[in-house]
Formats: sequence, C-alpha cells, structure tokens
Amino acid sequence: MADLPSGFWAGWIAVVTLVSLAAVAWLTYSLYFQSDDSEEIADEPVWDGDLREGNKAPPMWWFWLIFAAMIFTLVYMMLYPGLGSYEGILNWSQGSRIAEAYENFDENFAEARNAAAGMSLAEMQNDLQLMDTAERLFARECAACHGPEGRGQASLFPNLHDIDWQWGSTPEQIEQTIRGGRNAQMIAWGDILGEQGVSQVAEYVQTLSQTPSESHPGRAAYQQYCVACHMPDGSGNPMLGAPRLSDDIWLYGGDLDTIKDTLTFGRFGVMPAFGERLDDLQIKLLVALLVR
Amino acid sequence: MDGLSLHKKIEENTGLLIFGILFVSAIGGLVQLLPVLNQDSLDTATVNSHLYSAVELTGRDIYIREGCHVCHSQQVRPLIAEVERYGPYSRADEFVYDRPFLWGSKRTGPDLHRLGGKFSDDWHRIHLLNPRSVVPNSIMPAYPWLAEREASETGNITAKLSALTVLGHPYTEEDIAGADAALEGMTEMDALIAYLQMLGTSYQGESEL
Repeated sequence: MADLPSGFWAGWIAVVTLVSLAAVAWLTYSLYFQSDDSEEIADEPVWDGDLREGNKAPPMWWFWLIFAAMIFTLVYMMLYPGLGSYEGILNWSQGSRIAEAYENFDENFAEARNAAAGMSLAEMQNDLQLMDTAERLFARECAACHGPEGRGQASLFPNLHDIDWQWGSTPEQIEQTIRGGRNAQMIAWGDILGEQGVSQVAEYVQTLSQTPSESHPGRAAYQQYCVACHMPDGSGNPMLGAPRLSDDIWLYGGDLDTIKDTLTFGRFGVMPAFGERLDDLQIKLLVALLVR
Repeated sequence: MDGLSLHKKIEENTGLLIFGILFVSAIGGLVQLLPVLNQDSLDTATVNSHLYSAVELTGRDIYIREGCHVCHSQQVRPLIAEVERYGPYSRADEFVYDRPFLWGSKRTGPDLHRLGGKFSDDWHRIHLLNPRSVVPNSIMPAYPWLAEREASETGNITAKLSALTVLGHPYTEEDIAGADAALEGMTEMDALIAYLQMLGTSYQGESEL
C-alpha cells in the first residue's frame, strides 16, 4: 500500500513543516536577541523594578532547551520519514521493523525449531523444555474452551485427559482436528422420533454401557436411526465424530433429561480450525502434548 | 519588523489575536490531517474491506452500546509479539467501512481484531452469559440480557443501512429491503456473535490499491 504521501500533499507537508519550524526559530531568536532598552519601549508599563515589556530575555536555560529541541527535530527529520515523501536516511518503516524482528527471530530460533521439527513425538515428549512451550501454547490457544488443564468445561468442550476421543486419538487424527477443525452433525430427532420415541431411545442409550436388553422398546428406533453413526453396540465412529455411547463418559451429560435434549434438538459441536493461526511446529508440539 | 512590534500589534488587536491563535493551532491539523483526508489508501475498499451485513452491523452497534471497545481494542499493531499472539497486523483498508472505527485505546481484555473463527458460537454464548464459566480468572462482566432481547429492536436497521449508503457504503436495494427479515427471530446475542465471528476474517493479505 502506498503509505507515504505523494504529489501535491507531500510537498505541502514538507513546506508547512519547514516554514513553521523556521517561524519558531525566528520567534525564539527575536525574543532572546532583539530585546532592547531603547526609547521604543520607554512608554511601556513597568512591571517590576526595571522590567518592561520586551526589555529582558527569558532565562537562558529555556533557550537552550528550545535550541536542543530544534536540533533534535532537524536530525529526526533527516533520519526518519516525516517530510512528505522523503523516506529518511535510515529508511525506517513499520513494515521493515517487523520484518527485521522476524529475521532476528529466525536467527535466534531457526536451529532449535529445525531440531524440534525433526524430532519424533516421543522425543518431543521427553524434552521438558519443549513440553513447557507446548503447555504455554495450550494455555494460549486451547484453554479458553478445554479448560486450563484440558479437563473440559461447561459440558460443551471435551475433556482431553480421558480415553474417549470423539474424532479419534491417534496423532494423525488429533493433528487433523487441530488443523482443520471439526463440525459435529448430530441432527435433531425430535420430529422424527416423537416425544415417546425420544424417551425410549434415551433410556435405551443409557443401557448401552451395561448389557442392553433385546426387548427394550427403544431398541428398534436405535437400530433404525442411530447405528449408522454410533454403531449397533454404541461404540461410535471417530471418522464421523460420533461418540462412543457404551462408556460412562458423556460430553453434554449422561442423565436422562440431557440425553433427551440431545436427541430432540441435536448437537452441533464445533472445534475451530487452527491451521491458519498456528504453524506446523506449533501444531506438532500440541499433538505431542495431547498424546502424552 | 521585529518581534516586539509584531507582538504589540497582535496583543492590541483582538481580531488579529483570535486569527493568530486559530492559525497557529491549525498548523498541526494542516500537516497531519489534511493530507490524510486526501489519501486514497484510507477510504478505498479492497479485498480486505468487509461491508457489514444487516446482522453484523446490528451486532456492531450492540458492541458499541455495551462498551466492549472500552476494554477491547481492535487493532493488532505491527510488532512481532502482537502478530504472534493475535495474527496479521491490522491494515488501513480493513477499516474502510468502520463508522466509527473501534480501534480502542486500552486493553483490559485482549485485542479482538482477529477474533473471528477462533472460538465456536457456543463458546461465545456461554462466555457472554458468564465469562467465568469458561475462563475462570476472567474479570469481564456478564451480559445475560443480550440473550433475552430481540435484535430487531436494537435500532432501525433499514434507516442505518440507508444512512450508510449516503456515505458511500455499497448496499444494494435488496440489502436494505431484506434487512428487517435478516434480523427476524434473532436475539441480540446472535447478532453480536455474528459480528464477533466476522472480525478479521476478510483479511486476504497485503493489497495494492
């Protein structure tokens, strides 16, 4: 983007700046070095002793202060952009400053980053310093939803310490989850099942962790509608993000009312994509932390 | 003419004194503001500029009404620490349709300019209802009333869009005609979340004018 002014306005800035600087210089000079005791001011009122308007210069340390400020201004104007389209001797810009900061960053950390990038996940996990970094990364990017210790929160965001991984617990699956995000699609079954059907299926789902009864009234509807994602035995399908229903771990809650809500209104859990926000090494660090 | 006689002349002539004061105070503006007002990069839309939809604009007005900008800035500065934490630094062309801009001047909470897509809608909903339920050490106030109020009652959205059209925002006739319908059935919280989820997402990269 064209950030420095150009054309007429560049000239305008330079001229107005320099002219006003010169005017201040002249004003200072005239105050300090043109004071006189001549007749011209003889009819001015006397303020104190022999002090009249214009016959004494202000204290000299003021002058030196102003003088130093003006020298500073001139040097600054030469070094940095400020006079219209003039870029300054240092060629400084905000863009070049951050580019330089990244160069320094690369210089200082490229070696460590390359070394880490070449490590296996197990090697990463044994490096306490890297795991420390990974934990800070987790605190910054993940903790707001999954909780400061990753134990899940608000009956909406999964606990990352338990064995139940809705979208799979292999390093590859976790990486895919972080990079691309996940959108769960448990549609609302309230209209299809009806109120009674919802109750029956919810009750049946609760029994999946024990030995479900073959004659349970909710079994038929479960076998018809739910097995495609959650499997006949309720073991779930990480490819679809369909959680295991046959264990005692419930994201939204395992009490009857909550399961009925889930069936009636559906669930659309979202894991945002972090592929754009994090670089490859950062994602790898998080995976190493999570499968530890 | 020396300094003293000029001084005397100005001091004894009120009109001249007033003019002198105005002129001297205007110099800063003449140098800093006038050229910028004529600089295309600040008011020319690019791919990075996002024209707020009726819902997002309503959310933005709620953001202003609730004073979010008092604690949250919306400008990522061009410093490595900020870019690493928040994302690409803010560009001028991203604010072309911001009236008024919401850059803010103080960060009691984090910067929000690259917030869009970082959290799910559900997260925003429970966070606005009670920030402590997801961020235990948060000091942000709760905004439970947003979930109870109708977005269509926030203000006259049709009039807002028409007014912005006068200022050059390219809303079409259909945009304006469909504005009320777009807000139908939405709570203020829905509109605010739509706005938050859009923040910073239109940024494509450095663009030439």
